[in-house]
Amino acid sequence: MNLEFNEDQIDALREFMNVSIGAATANLANLLDAFGTMHIPKIEICNSSELSQKIESTIDIGSMYYATKQLFTGKFGGECMFIISEESARNLGRHLYNATTPSRDDISDAVIELTNILTSTIVSRLTQELDTQVQFFVPSSQFIDAHSIVNSEDVADYSKIIIISTILDFKDQKINGNIYILTKDEAIKSLKILIDKKIEEIYG
Amino acid sequence: MEIKYPDVLLDSLENGHMIIDDKFIVSYWNRWLAINTQISKEEIIGKKLDEFYPNINYKVLYRKIKTALLINTPSFYDTNSNVKFIPMNRNKVTTSSLMLMQQQVTISPYIACENKVMVSIYDISELFEAKLSLKKEIEKVNKLNDKLEADQEIIDRNIMMMRTSFDGVIIDVSTFFCQFFEFKKDFILGKNISTFKQDGGFSATYKELWETIRNKKCWSGELKLKTYKGEEKWVQSRITPILDIDGEVLEFSAVYHDITNEKLLEELYITDPLTKLYNRAHFDEVVNFIVKHQRKTDTDFVLVITDIDHFKSINDTYGHQIGDEALVSVANTLKDSLREDDLIARWGGEEFVIMLKNVTLDEAKTIIEKVRASVEKNKINGTINATASFGITKYILGEDIKKTFKRVDDALYEAKKSGRNRAVLK
Repeated sequence: MNLEFNEDQIDALREFMNVSIGAATANLANLLDAFGTMHIPKIEICNSSELSQKIESTIDIGSMYYATKQLFTGKFGGECMFIISEESARNLGRHLYNATTPSRDDISDAVIELTNILTSTIVSRLTQELDTQVQFFVPSSQFIDAHSIVNSEDVADYSKIIIISTILDFKDQKINGNIYILTKDEAIKSLKILIDKKIEEIYG
Repeated sequence: MEIKYPDVLLDSLENGHMIIDDKFIVSYWNRWLAINTQISKEEIIGKKLDEFYPNINYKVLYRKIKTALLINTPSFYDTNSNVKFIPMNRNKVTTSSLMLMQQQVTISPYIACENKVMVSIYDISELFEAKLSLKKEIEKVNKLNDKLEADQEIIDRNIMMMRTSFDGVIIDVSTFFCQFFEFKKDFILGKNISTFKQDGGFSATYKELWETIRNKKCWSGELKLKTYKGEEKWVQSRITPILDIDGEVLEFSAVYHDITNEKLLEELYITDPLTKLYNRAHFDEVVNFIVKHQRKTDTDFVLVITDIDHFKSINDTYGHQIGDEALVSVANTLKDSLREDDLIARWGGEEFVIMLKNVTLDEAKTIIEKVRASVEKNKINGTINATASFGITKYILGEDIKKTFKRVDDALYEAKKSGRNRAVLK
């Protein structure tokens, strides 16, 4: 099956993502007491070997990051990744733990909490739009350099990857980070079928 | 007694499960939690969790409960955290690096309308321990790698090394090798090892070297090589074949050590400064070694002593400078006429001694006759004729070398006595 998306499918996916991101922004404001903005999502399909390069092109490769990854399974399964700089993560720790100097554990837990809200809201909302269900796994966070976020050799087995990315920005708290929803091969096929079904339902 | 199926199910699980609301009031506490916390259901149900665990950050817990209820999806604590949600002792006696249980804590929505969630606690200590031990091992490997890299850097900058393919194509060389031979690394790689070989000579050494290493053995010895600018360098070499998994030679590795200065001193010590032939001391050393060890391959030789005829008269007539030129001229004739393996030395005054290896007396006579003719033909300083007389004898296996010298001296005396410019066999 062709893994490329046609224009209608891309438009629909972008529309669903806009709704999901809107929901995520609202939930973040409600749960974390922080009013932020999220950029219009960018949707890209690339070869697995290009993933590392694509991610590195969106961040400063000289900095250290908290990279949190969370898996989700179901008809539409994949991996959500939230990348936040050390500085932003520290600000997030301060905000969520009410501490001037949050500990590494506090920061890490805060990043996981934010990732979970983002991932759960965006993916749940997206899958809700597509009339399917997903299960989330416990996120794991690492404090690493930009080159170590994605190991090219580890993703080489997959042929195509969809990258849905956006930027989260809490201006007041000086927190911003990049969110990537990654899905591959079989899940891309399922996503296309689900989108087609939804388009059919809407437009007949 | 009535069986409550969800209770039976949750009590049989090997994880902790509690149900609490957003006020932290406990409405369920399973068997696993009761055992691991030593707090029974009866004690805790209906009470607030903070009465038992005041150290939990309830602001964070409240937010996680709210997240689970609002998004209708689980929320989590960081599994790698050193802060334990409910501290529980670990009872592992053997090789435990964790005193407290490492926990994965998941907060799942339970009854949203009552703001109730299920807090599940999974013991992930074994996994976490494995992770810690893996991390420790990786750190060790990284440290070793760093050390190895540093050592490699030191070796590269201080030791001359080379790797070649089976047929002598250079695969890699150390920085120090490039500096010593004044080559750029890019220039050397892909070239044949013969790039460094001195033109001519040493064929026997190289033949032995290749035979040894192609037979999968190490070779050690001295080699005379040349730099990019053509300067001669002596190196002590050790060449080792590297075998593939089938035991066949894949490539060679070589380590070199500069011995040029030692060789120069050694040459000075064993060389006659005027004629550049070996001196008497060196000849004596070689002959004595051969006689002492009596190796079959070495003892088959013919001894020759030659003396320039009427040398005193040349000195008296033309002066000592021409006399010296006569000595150099005869020395060069001997060198040019004889084989590389033959040993030639200045014996003293106008006398030279020669060791012809692996020849019969008749063959020696023929060789020496040609040498005699060449000496006679070559004019000293372009004008002066000189001749030489030769005594020839064969070393007899096991004999005292003094007897051989006596015989060869007698033969030379006979050559002189019977008119000079001739060779006599004894």
